[in-house]
Amino acid sequence: MTALVLALALAAPQVSEVHVSHRKVIAADGAALALYQYSPVGGGVGRPPVLLVPDVGFGRESFDLHGQGLARWLAARGALVFVAELRGQGKAEAAKGLASVVSVDLPAIVAAIRKERAEPLDVVAHGWMGTLVLAATTQELKGQVRRVVALNTPVLAEVPSELVGSFLAGGGRLSELAGSGKGAHDFELMFAMASSFPPRVLSALETNGVRDLGDGQAAALLGWMKSGDLPLPPSPSNPLSGQPNSTPFDSAQGEREDTVLHRLRAYDRPTLQLLALADGWASPELCSPLRELSKAKVMVQTFSRFVHGNDYSHASVLLGQQAASTVFPRIDDFFLAEEEP
Amino acid sequence: MRRGAVLALALAASGCVHVVPLPKEAQVHRAVTSDGWGLALVRYQAKGKPSGPPVILCHGISANARNMDLDDDVSMARWFAAHGRETWTVSLRGGGDSDRPDEASGRPAGFGFDDYWKKDVPAVVAYVKKVSGAAAVDWVGHSMGGMVLYAYLSQGGEGINAGTTLGSPTRLDWGTGIEGPLLKVAPHVEGLRFTLPSSLGAHAMAPLEPHLDDGPLERLFYNPQSTSKRAWQRLIAYGTADISSGVLMQLAAVMRTGELKSADGKLDFKKDMAGITTPVLVVAAKLDRIAVTPAVKDGYRALGGPKEWLLITRANGARGEYGHMDLVIGDRAGDEVWSKVLDFLNRHAPKEP
Repeated sequence: MTALVLALALAAPQVSEVHVSHRKVIAADGAALALYQYSPVGGGVGRPPVLLVPDVGFGRESFDLHGQGLARWLAARGALVFVAELRGQGKAEAAKGLASVVSVDLPAIVAAIRKERAEPLDVVAHGWMGTLVLAATTQELKGQVRRVVALNTPVLAEVPSELVGSFLAGGGRLSELAGSGKGAHDFELMFAMASSFPPRVLSALETNGVRDLGDGQAAALLGWMKSGDLPLPPSPSNPLSGQPNSTPFDSAQGEREDTVLHRLRAYDRPTLQLLALADGWASPELCSPLRELSKAKVMVQTFSRFVHGNDYSHASVLLGQQAASTVFPRIDDFFLAEEEP
Repeated sequence: MRRGAVLALALAASGCVHVVPLPKEAQVHRAVTSDGWGLALVRYQAKGKPSGPPVILCHGISANARNMDLDDDVSMARWFAAHGRETWTVSLRGGGDSDRPDEASGRPAGFGFDDYWKKDVPAVVAYVKKVSGAAAVDWVGHSMGGMVLYAYLSQGGEGINAGTTLGSPTRLDWGTGIEGPLLKVAPHVEGLRFTLPSSLGAHAMAPLEPHLDDGPLERLFYNPQSTSKRAWQRLIAYGTADISSGVLMQLAAVMRTGELKSADGKLDFKKDMAGITTPVLVVAAKLDRIAVTPAVKDGYRALGGPKEWLLITRANGARGEYGHMDLVIGDRAGDEVWSKVLDFLNRHAPKEP
């Protein structure tokens, strides 16, 4: 009996203890945002803290669902991990658009983290919201981000498919896709194509891990896709904002404009770009030009079923059956590399 | 002789998958390149009233003209002919019934990608124009068959009215993992002139294919949602060709550098694609694991235009996802791919007087 107990104990996965806490963060304009903290034993000293930012319409569950996900995985390996819910995501305030994410939300979140740990962060940025994180590193978060893992973050925006276009034109009601029938079919095509998930994870994500974009945010995202760019407002939190050198370029009309595309041209953070082939929401071909467009040193890895056993979709790259064995170690290795990649 | 014996042995061991002959209406032709290589062409007359210029269908790497006419059920060539276009298939040098390398006849081994676009494409275009009487042709190229179109047009190649590329990459450094083996081998065989007998492996695999589910070839080349096992089996039995070392080295350079250039590095095809004014439709398959969608879109972005982008995926109305070969031999490719190609070509066909 003793031998059996010992054998079971040895066979059990060795999970480090992780303490999870949650707080409300109030942005400069009064909007309530959410910040989750995953503290490992020892507090994560010895490596930069990691901020995980979920995509538009998703929340903390992208990184922590049923005890699985990148947040606990990284924390179990000694990283102090934060998951942000910006306006429109999870428990945060509703969103009317997207641009304030760059100018207001992200600065507020990073300021809250810096009260805990003042050193530059490593960031995992997912999807369209992830692109806004990349944009923010050039001004609002300048000097505060060390390295970035960009998970299917579109650079040259387009409407990825007829389905995505009609979904956003209808208001981006993710909550209506749960269950079966056409909704589930559409969810699969956009977020979970050619993917395998651990039991109950996909249904839990569909049911609890999404939030309707709302007309304002859906329209903003669709406008960004259709026009190829997203105008950004002046940043109240950035002392450089509005000064001649911080504003991007003179448009053909001679006006000074600030846009996501302009920011991406100035983007310079060392980046691991992970491309999930089966992503139907933030398609890889929209993301891939980052290395030509930006000033950053970008390492690209594309997952495919032939080599990695999975093409990966928008959701399965974080919550899929093999994410913890294929994707997460690649992210951790990038953050832990001693020399700048 | 020795190669033929090895091939015969492989086929015998493989159980000899039945080679479906070309249909009666297929007319066999032969064009000769400026450096003396004979290229096998097959002509399919248009059914009904011709609706535009002749269409030339060009296969990809390690393939031959039979990709475009596999059997009665799977034939892009017969599909285009049935829809009013005089259609031609071609086997580029070294493949199908085209001339193989033969030192004694002045056809050295080790030819490169540059020989395809610089010598084969002009010979084929000129021949088809001459026989058909057309002022220009349309070109539909799969994979490398589209890359040769890009190279040809980027260097001012003439005689093409409009083109379509199906799963044709212009950049191959995407960290997919398939680059690794070639990049490791390439430095050790640099400068050697040889022919990689890739078709032998394909022939040997052919009889096994119906019995393999989710095998490596399936994972890499096609999606059973869209292509039948029988079509795939026939393709690898008689639709493949060996690869010349020069072609291999040039593609290895694309993988290593991220650039699409001539072998001597002097011509930058991708950069020069900005000057292309021939209309081109660029088609990509969502689950193509060889020409991944970023690699195909890279070519679309490089083109000067007019140009159009078409992503084949269920999210755009297809009934199944497509992989690399499904664009050419897919069960529903006529409805879901080729009809859109024909529509594009028809929209850019010269106006009848």
